[in-house]
Amino acid sequence: MTQPMPHSTNAIPKHSRNTPAPQRQPQISTIGARAFLLEAPGDFDLPAQRRIWALAQALRQWDDLGEIVPGMTNLLAIFKTTPEDPDAVTARLREAWERAESIDIRGKTIEIGVIYGGEHATDLAALCDHTGLTDREIVRLHHEGTYTVFALGSAPGFGYLHGLDPRIHMPRKTVPSLKMARGCVTIGGMQTGVAVLTGPNGWNSIGFADHQMFDPKAAVPAIMAPGDTVRFLPERIEL
Amino acid sequence: MSRVNFGDPAVIASLAAALEAAGVDGIEIEQDARKVRIVIERGILGAVPQVDASQHSSAATHAISVAAPTAGLFCSAHPASVAPPLELPREVVPGEMLGFIRVGPILLPVKASGTGILMRSLAGDGSLVGYGEPLFEIEPCP
Amino acid sequence: MIEILNTGPLNTIQDIGRPGYRDIGVTASGAMDPMALKIANLLVGNDEGAAAIEVQTFPFRLRFSGATAFAVTGGGRAALDGVSLPPWWSQTAGAGQVLELLPSPASARAYIAFAGGLDVPLVLGSRSTSLRGAFGGIDGRSLTNEDILQLGEPARTVFAADGLGVVPPATALSALFPVAADGTLLVRALPAGEHDLFGADAERFWSQSWKISAQSDRTGYRLSGEPVRPTAPVEMRSYGIVPGVVQVPPGGEPIVQMSDANTAGGYPKIAGVLEADLWRLGQARVGSRLRFVRSSHAEARTLDRAIAAYVDDISNTSQMVARALKTMAGR
Repeated sequence: MTQPMPHSTNAIPKHSRNTPAPQRQPQISTIGARAFLLEAPGDFDLPAQRRIWALAQALRQWDDLGEIVPGMTNLLAIFKTTPEDPDAVTARLREAWERAESIDIRGKTIEIGVIYGGEHATDLAALCDHTGLTDREIVRLHHEGTYTVFALGSAPGFGYLHGLDPRIHMPRKTVPSLKMARGCVTIGGMQTGVAVLTGPNGWNSIGFADHQMFDPKAAVPAIMAPGDTVRFLPERIEL
Repeated sequence: MSRVNFGDPAVIASLAAALEAAGVDGIEIEQDARKVRIVIERGILGAVPQVDASQHSSAATHAISVAAPTAGLFCSAHPASVAPPLELPREVVPGEMLGFIRVGPILLPVKASGTGILMRSLAGDGSLVGYGEPLFEIEPCP
Repeated sequence: MIEILNTGPLNTIQDIGRPGYRDIGVTASGAMDPMALKIANLLVGNDEGAAAIEVQTFPFRLRFSGATAFAVTGGGRAALDGVSLPPWWSQTAGAGQVLELLPSPASARAYIAFAGGLDVPLVLGSRSTSLRGAFGGIDGRSLTNEDILQLGEPARTVFAADGLGVVPPATALSALFPVAADGTLLVRALPAGEHDLFGADAERFWSQSWKISAQSDRTGYRLSGEPVRPTAPVEMRSYGIVPGVVQVPPGGEPIVQMSDANTAGGYPKIAGVLEADLWRLGQARVGSRLRFVRSSHAEARTLDRAIAAYVDDISNTSQMVARALKTMAGR
């Protein structure tokens, strides 16, 4: 069997990270006795996430699972009771992963108006320092992107967005902001998103979006869903 | 506590269930001039408790006795308590908790029935007692 | 109806939680000591997952507007109209009676259940308060003085007239839930995904005793001690988490996520506490010490079964005793 060659269209070298060399097998670990985390091998990209979506769909048929939480190229499977044989669970998950084929969720497109810069863009200067780009350049790269909702998590309705230009990747802060406002448009590592709660936040804020992302009383509480496309429209740029 | 009719199968059934829950095989209960013995036959599905009742005479006392609210194991203190047991004799007031009856994981209070001096504990800590069995004697205050 | 007379901050309405919505970012919330919540409910004839009050700041006082069967479990020292109640106790209060809870040295949180359960609207399948999400309970907020709480229809109407309690789990199950001789809580856990990236520090994670810092709440416990760090920085992709996950932020002092934790995280995780030990962690007080003990799935199953048997025994025996008392009282 021929291995597909990894292709890359961007010439910017990746930051070196403390991760093992790409491998074909997923990594499976536990959190407590009932939750099993499967991490897809390879890059943080859409093909890997599509396979996670396929795995999530397959696992919904398992009666012994209480909850399935797709993450970023990973999936947490929470069992209703403690499995008797963890190795057997690992083998079942591996098998399900092998069988999982890519699915393409044709989601809706969500357009979010953003005020870039201004009082909420508390980390824009740090991003300039880190990337060597001007603030105007960072804003342009951010709003020109087309993003895919990979998964929801962390806070109600918060969507982890994939598709951030590698030139504006920036690690999470070591000291989180204690009271970042709901609506801050943020960058965390290779991901971007819009804060849905006011509170401590380790991501880097570059702007603000006044967009209701979650209503617990609605029939569909979260605006975003995995597979949706998100575009940021600059309403104002305050630099 | 009102009178209990030991001729009533429902009463015997509840007591038998309580005994089973407490993990005991049988019990003798004295009530004035009557005595009831309930034996749980284990291993027999739907076992019917064996009961005999007979006449029995008991000595009258002046003290108020505090009776067990149900059959079970007598605890002189709450099982989670680390405090040393209180010395006797001592004054008690109505409703004061003097100990507990344990049925499996469940605890029922044994409460003082009147004001007076708590003179004697009649049941050993951890011993099996029957419904209505006297557990304490209280000398009424003059 | 119940009136809150006096409450500190952060006392909330909680039930067994709202699992099932982590995939849209909604925390399960729910009682920090689910066993105490279940037992309080069983003692008043409710479904074990009904909504109750979780008290974590004291003193706490409430008044009953009518005859109401209630139960207090977990921590706290309870008194009804000034008369002390034994721990883990249920009783029927009369109209106008006042229930007061003071802190207890051993346990952090008390649960007060009422026959019929607290009647607040269900949000995403649960009545639990989510303070972060600002929904559930009463408008997503903590209880305040003068709050009036409505009760549901009691499922059972017969209760032991003189009250009824249980042998607390710390006593009944003491052999299975040990505490070190110096009082350190022993918390069983399994190594998690990044455990081995901590190299030699991983052993120090297990061997030292950690202090629960003052920056600890229903969201998570920050532990203080000798920092542990991975041998090289780890940048993680965000992954789903559950209460009990022990993550290590760059500072090296672990955080144990609890009932109100985020549904996803990005810090490397060194261990995961067994679900069967979470109730004890939920009762651990700020300033107390704990040590993680390496466990196994086999041990986890033994503990799960012991907890289930204890709760079942309480459910069955309490109903049976109440029936027996009724039979005897009726003669």
